This record gives sequence, C-alpha cells and structure tokens, in this order.
Amino acid sequence: MRRSRFPVVVTALVGVFFYLPIVLLVANSFNPARFSSRWQGFSLVWYARLFESPEIWQALKNTLIIALSVTAVSTVLGTMAAFALHRYGASRLQRVHYTLIYQPLVVPEILMGISLLMFFVAAGVPLGLFTIFLAHVTFCISYVAMTVLGRLQDFDFSMIEAARDLGASPWQSARKVLLPLLMPGIAAGALLAFTLSVDDFVITFFVAGPGSTTLPLRIYSMIKYGSPPMINALSTLLLAVTLTAVLVSQRLVNLRGGEARRPGT
Amino acid sequence: MGNEGGGKRTEFLDSDISQKRGSEPLRRTSDGRSSESAPGRRFDPIFKRPGLRPRRAELLVSLPTLLWLGLFIVVPTLLVFVIAFRPANPYGGIGGGWTLDTIRALGTPNYLTIAWRTLWISLLTTALCLVLAVPSGYTIARASRKWRNRLLMLVVVPFWTSFLVRVFAWKSLLHPEGMIKKALEALGLVGPETTLLYHPAAVVLVMVYTFLPFTILPIYAAAEKFDYRLLEAARDLGARPFQAFRKIFLPGVRRGILTALLVVFIPALGSYIIPDLVGGPGSEMLGNKIAQRVFTDRNLPHASALSAVLVLAVLAPLIAVLVLQRKNKKADIIMGEAP
Amino acid sequence: MNTEFLEFRGVSKRFGAVRAVDDVSLEIKKGEFFSLLGPSGCGKTTMLRLAAGFEEPDAGRVILDGRDITDLPPDKRKVNTIFQSYALFPHMTVRDNIAFGLAIAKRPKKDIRDEVDRMLALIRMAEQADKKPDLLSGGQKQRVAVARALINKPDVLLLDEPLAALDLKLRQKMLIELDLIHDEVGITFLYVTHDQAEAMSLSDRIAVMDGGRIEQVGAPAEIYESPRTSFVAAFIGDTNFLEGRVQDCPDREYCRLAIAGLPGILCFNDKSLQPGQPIYLSIRPEKVHISRERPEEEPQRNCLPAVIEDVIYLGANTKYWVRAGGYRIQVLRQHARYFLDERPLRWKDEAWIWWHADDGFMLDRFRKADEGLLAVPPRSVGEPLNGK
Repeated sequence: MRRSRFPVVVTALVGVFFYLPIVLLVANSFNPARFSSRWQGFSLVWYARLFESPEIWQALKNTLIIALSVTAVSTVLGTMAAFALHRYGASRLQRVHYTLIYQPLVVPEILMGISLLMFFVAAGVPLGLFTIFLAHVTFCISYVAMTVLGRLQDFDFSMIEAARDLGASPWQSARKVLLPLLMPGIAAGALLAFTLSVDDFVITFFVAGPGSTTLPLRIYSMIKYGSPPMINALSTLLLAVTLTAVLVSQRLVNLRGGEARRPGT
Repeated sequence: MGNEGGGKRTEFLDSDISQKRGSEPLRRTSDGRSSESAPGRRFDPIFKRPGLRPRRAELLVSLPTLLWLGLFIVVPTLLVFVIAFRPANPYGGIGGGWTLDTIRALGTPNYLTIAWRTLWISLLTTALCLVLAVPSGYTIARASRKWRNRLLMLVVVPFWTSFLVRVFAWKSLLHPEGMIKKALEALGLVGPETTLLYHPAAVVLVMVYTFLPFTILPIYAAAEKFDYRLLEAARDLGARPFQAFRKIFLPGVRRGILTALLVVFIPALGSYIIPDLVGGPGSEMLGNKIAQRVFTDRNLPHASALSAVLVLAVLAPLIAVLVLQRKNKKADIIMGEAP
Repeated sequence: MNTEFLEFRGVSKRFGAVRAVDDVSLEIKKGEFFSLLGPSGCGKTTMLRLAAGFEEPDAGRVILDGRDITDLPPDKRKVNTIFQSYALFPHMTVRDNIAFGLAIAKRPKKDIRDEVDRMLALIRMAEQADKKPDLLSGGQKQRVAVARALINKPDVLLLDEPLAALDLKLRQKMLIELDLIHDEVGITFLYVTHDQAEAMSLSDRIAVMDGGRIEQVGAPAEIYESPRTSFVAAFIGDTNFLEGRVQDCPDREYCRLAIAGLPGILCFNDKSLQPGQPIYLSIRPEKVHISRERPEEEPQRNCLPAVIEDVIYLGANTKYWVRAGGYRIQVLRQHARYFLDERPLRWKDEAWIWWHADDGFMLDRFRKADEGLLAVPPRSVGEPLNGK
C-alpha cells in the first residue's frame, strides 16, 4: 500500500523548524559582527569577553553549586520515591504520593515559582542560593522518580528471587543484583536533574535573591539589558554542556536497557 | 486382564491421596494450623524476611519525599489561595487582616482582556502543535527501527537544551536586523518598517516551537502501539486513505492526542518568558501580569489572586481529560480492546 | 530407601479473595522426580513458591528432611529453583552466574573455580564460560540456570515450567537432558508443568491439581488408566463420558450398568459400588475397537452398533466419532497394518464398536464442567461445542 508522502514532508519541515534557530545561534556566536545578518568571519571574540567577565564566572559558580547539590539530594529522594511507588503502588498512600510527584510535571513553572516565593516570604526565609536549592530539588525529585520508576517497571524481579534462592540475604541481593542493574537508570535520572537545575529559569527567577544569580538569570538580564552577541556565545556553551549530559544520559538508559528487561517487554 | 487387572486397581487405591473433592483430607497433622498469619502477608524478596509488616516499610520509604513535597508543593499552593484574600502591604509585603478587594479587582476589563488573550493564544498554540505533531509522530512510528531512534533523538534533543536560549534564538531571528526579516525583505514580502517581533503572532510561533517536542512524543508513543493492519483492513473495505486516517487512525491514537493536548495547553496558559521576550505590550498574558505584580508593583496579594485564577484554569482541562480518559477506558473495555 | 523427604501438611495460601492453594497435603519421596500437573491457575506454581520460600502459607507447614522450614526465608533453605524466565544475572558472566551461590556461601576461591569448571563440563558449556547471558540461546540459558542451581547441591530442585519458553524440538531435547541429569545427580526434583506429555514422560509420580486442590496423586500409568475424578479423566488424554446408574453387580468384580439407550454394559467394579448408585462411565478412545463386521460375542465384551459421524485421519492412527445409542463416542484406531485396497470406514457408514469391560472405569464424582476439557467437534456450523 503506497503511503502518502505528506507526513514525511511535514516531519522534514518540522525538523528544519526545530534546528534552524539553534544552528543560527551557534553560528552567530562565532560571528564578530554585532548583528547576525552580516557575517564577518570566524572569531572567538565573544567567548573571550565571556571569560573576562567576573559576573559570568560568579553566575557559573552559583549554578554549579546549586546543580551539584540539587542532583545529589534529588537523586536519593527520587530513587526512594520510585521504590515506594513501584513496590506499594496500589495503596492509597501511594496514590496520593504519585499525585504529588506528578504535580511539578504538569503544573506551569510560574505557579510553582510564585507559590514557593509566597511560602518563603511568609516563612521569613531570606531569598538566595538556599531557596533556589530548595525549589530545584522540589521539581527534580519528580523527574528522577519517573525515570527510575520506568526502569523498575521493566525490571525482572525474578532475578532478585533467584539471588535469594541461591543464598543471598535481602541486603546482599540488593547490593549484588538490584543496584548494579538499576544504576544506569539512577544515573540517567541524576543527569536529568543536573540538566534541569542548570537550565531552570522561571522558578529560579522567582525565588532568587540579590547576589544569587545563576547562568540563566544572567542570560535573561543580558537579553533585556546587555549585549546580544555575548549571549550567543554563552548560550552555545550552555547548549554544549547540557547536550553532552543528555546524550550520556540517553546512552546509559539504552545501554543496559536490554539486559534487565522482563522477557516480553 | 480380569483378576490381575483388579489386583492392580486395588493397589492403586492405597497410594497417597491427598485430597478427595468435598471430603476431609486423609491426613491432618496434629499441629494442624500454624500461628495465624495475616492474610495476604507477602514475602518481599528485597526489603526483609517475611515478618516485617509491609506498612512500616512503605511508610519508611515514602516519608521523606511525602514530607518534602507536602511542604514545598501543597503548603505553598494553599498559601497562594490564602494570600489572595489579604491586603497588600505598602512596603511590598503581605499586610494583616482579610479583604475581598483583591478578588473584586480581578473583574476589571483589563484583567479580562488578558485572560481572554491567554486563552486564545494557548488554544491556537495547542491546535497548531497537534496539526504538526500528528503527521510527525506517525512518520516516526512508521520508520524503520534505525531511523526511529535517530528521529526521536532529533526531536528530544532541542527539548533538553536551555529553554531561555531557544527563545532568545528566535528573538534574534525575528529581530529587525535578523535573518528572517532580511530574507523576507529580499523577497519583497515585507517592508522595512514591519516588525516581526512584539506581536501575538510571534508569541504563538515561539510557543509552538517550544511545545512541539512535548506534543510529538506522546503521539509517537500511541502511534507506535497502533496496529497498522487496521488501516489495511479499512482500505480493503473501500475507505480512501484520508478517510481511513480520520476514522481509524485518529481514534486509535486518541489517548496520545489527549496527553499531547494537556502537555501543551497547560504550560501555554502559564507562559511567561515567551510573551515577555518576543511579545509586546499587546501580547501580555497572565504569566506576565503575575510577574509584573510581583517584581514591578510589589503587590503580592494581587499576584496571588491571579495565580489562583491560573491554578483553577489549569485544573479544568486536567479534570476534563481525566474524565474523558475514564470514558475512553470504558469504551475500550466494551469494544474488547483493554483488558 | 524411599522415605518422605519433602512434605506439605495442610498448606493453604490465599491471594486476596482467591484460594490459590486450598488445604493441600503432599509427600514427596527422596530422589523422586515428582510433577505437579494442572491447568493455569490451579495452584501448582504457588506450591512451588511455598517450597522455595517465596510465599508464606496462611496455614499449614512445609517439612524438608524432617525439619520444619515453613518460617525459613529462601536463602536459608537447602532448596534451589529454576525459574521459568531463567532469571540469569545479566551483568555477570556465565561463570559468575553459576558461582553465585558458592560465592555467597563464602567458599574458598579455588573450590569455587573447580566446582564451576566441573559444572561447565556437565552442561557442556565450558567454551561459553565468559560470555554474558544475553549472548546465549534459550537452551543454553536453561542449562546455565540448571548448573547455577545444582552446584549448591540442594536437597530439592524446584523447576517452574522450565521448558515453556522453548520451541518444540528444543523442548524434546531438553526433556531428555533433564531426565539424564536427574538420573545422574539423584536429587529430588519437584517439577511444575501444564504439559501432560512432559509430566508423564519424566515423572516417577504426578499430582494432578485443579483449583488449588489435588485431584489425584500417582504414577503416570495409574493417573492415566485409573483416574479418580472426571477432571483427571478429561484433563489427561482423551476420554468418553457416559452417564448412568449401577443396575446390579452379578459378581464382585463386575457391575451391570443402566445407561439410557444402551443395552446392558458391563464394567469392572474398582470402587465397591452399590446398585442404584449414579455413576459416569469413562472409556478412553484407544480402548474402543471399531469394525465393519459384528465381532464375536464374549462374556466381558461390550458391543454396540454405531454410525460414523466424523473421521479424522492422522497418519499413524485415525479418530472416529461415532453415534451409538444416541451418544457420541470417540474411537482411536491405530494402523498397525494398513492394506491399500482395504475399504476404509467412511462418514455415515454403519459399524460396530466394542470394548472390554476391564477397560472402562467408573467415576462416582463427576463435574459437568470437566466435559469442557474434551475436544468434541460439533455436528454443524453454529452448534455449540460439546453438544451431545
């Protein structure tokens, strides 16, 4: 049956639509001209300006401090949540649990931002790196939990029974069989959390204080008040970092994917 | 046969029989029943030997996240509704006492315009996303395994890059000195005075750009599970290609379509950055107003009230889809699709 | 010496509202190859998991070699399981998989290495020792699973439908291998399956289960030739069911049965039945003979005129569905000798069927639903299956 060409054409157009702005942005970061329409040759001048800017370095430092601590905490909490959801999924407690975890994934970021801002103001917590940390962990837990939960659902638990059958205690079977096979999924979740924390703008915007600028916040202020070409360079760098993290995460999820799957999934 | 056969038969009668239907078991041990175990006490291969009450283990594992999320999601959301009823403090904080003024202020035409604009921009974005996503999801699902993974990666990768960066990329493109404007000028389609930016159309364009990957993925997921032989059967029975698509394929992937709907419409309602960066004063949406109230006007109760409205606006489609999904499930069961 | 080795005493297990195992007692002898046979959902897998320690019984005890192991977790039982999905550890090599139990037991490295090598030789996989499971075929995975279990020298080996995932030819091969391993190693095997051919060919004894209860326990021939209930009669092989009543018993060994529409039928009386008792007569198709001519009269021969309704030619034998006295009876005739010019029995032909009174068996317990287990072709399109 001859399949119509129409869907393919649309998909191709969508593809161009997706990548055109990004490609142009990256290209322009190497364009010394002030305005993107004129190409003045390949240059790293904007990157140099970035490196010389102390505000950029400060923002980078803040971003990394937050992202690393957020990744650590949310990975642990998210993995625990995934276990609870998978193991006890039917109970009423878990249904409430699941609804809570699901919230950050469906609710617009601005709602989360403003509600957390209200909360911190009402509680008298000064806005700064700490509040950003708290906010980021809150939504990162959900992403880690969903990632690990997906892997748990595909996991063949008869392997754990086999380990017990062969003489391993619960702790031994978790250590020798469950965790090694789950590790790629947990790592993927951690990378996801890292990426989301580095990239987050809206929620950070609401709960940041003076002196706790992150890279996205700096990019925003540069967009509003600063020089466009440096934004290109900074964005390209940011793109490179998050892209690498995502690609590694995808490899990890697919690498051991076939091994631990239940037969038939 | 004969006697010999009979002898063999009686021998069989004495062999171990454990159960006769409806009668007492032949042997009942003296210790009989063991200590009363709770019915349904499951052996958990991971967490403990049989014996640890599952309740306790469940609480232990769930408590940290339940507490965290309860504190940082439930409480703040409730707070938003509460603060909407409080007056503003002249210093930009929250005053004491209660008032309905803030809520009443929501009725002003200014707000209504913004609410309406938010609604139609979100609807338009959703519609456009769906129109583009259905053929794309279909194409990817029908591609060979090799291509499928590549295409999926291509769709997903922009999604993971910084949202702010992508919006900014469009801002550059649409800038008066940017590529697209220059190209359109060269083609003679627009004059040098027209601005592509700062217009609701720009907002819709960039929103579609942002949300399209989110839409393609659920449709792809549904299209992948679809049995394409149904389309062949439809063609075999005389349906034209587009008819088959409309009557067989679309209903078949309706769950994916519903998810895609949610995934665009709700974030679109709450958009803030996109109208802020590429829209102008004429494209202000609810999100902008909320941000303005917080940062420019320092009027937290007003911002709260607006946010409360947004929360309700977000809940409505969520509940609608939930109800629809339940009806779909019933239909699936009746039609014999779902288990 | 054959002693009771693995015992289930009054064991019950419920999952929610479903009684998976309902007050079952069973004794398995040491060194035996014992099978639990039954349809899906009969409770056989639950029994296995109770023996392994993955389920705790709601009531009853599990005894192994005289010790009550009911409260022991699986890692403390001298019992090992072969899982239906094999459950090999994908992140470990074949060698490490097999060695797992010994490594947990903290045996010296040299001992482990020697024993693993010995096992690899036994299953003929020394060359694949360093491969990971995802590179192995189904049959190879199964052998690794067997080695991984046997190396721990368990008291009992539990096998959960181990051949279900293999295709026919491979299954036949593995059947023979399992048999050989059992003979060589001498361990008690508890084997769970829904496939009668597997159970009958491998087992010393079989327990037929249905609905959480044991229908009958015995050697394969006993189960086949002397089923105690209609379920066993219908589930194992094929059979014919005729409903009737005991008319009288002229001598101790035989009873005359009154079956509507048929002249006096004789049947061997193995159940001490009394006149007037309602019974179901069951005859297996291969015990019924069919011919064009009327056979000679003989005292213990039941003989009926019949009309042929269906013929299914199978090569080595032919199945006939005949109508005698209003009943549909299945007859299986083997072609030990075949004459090309012989006039075959065909549809609508008249013939005679007969069987020896010793070959039928009477059931005093009959469940109408068990008739559904028999594959009776309908007479016409649209007629429900198993219509009489």
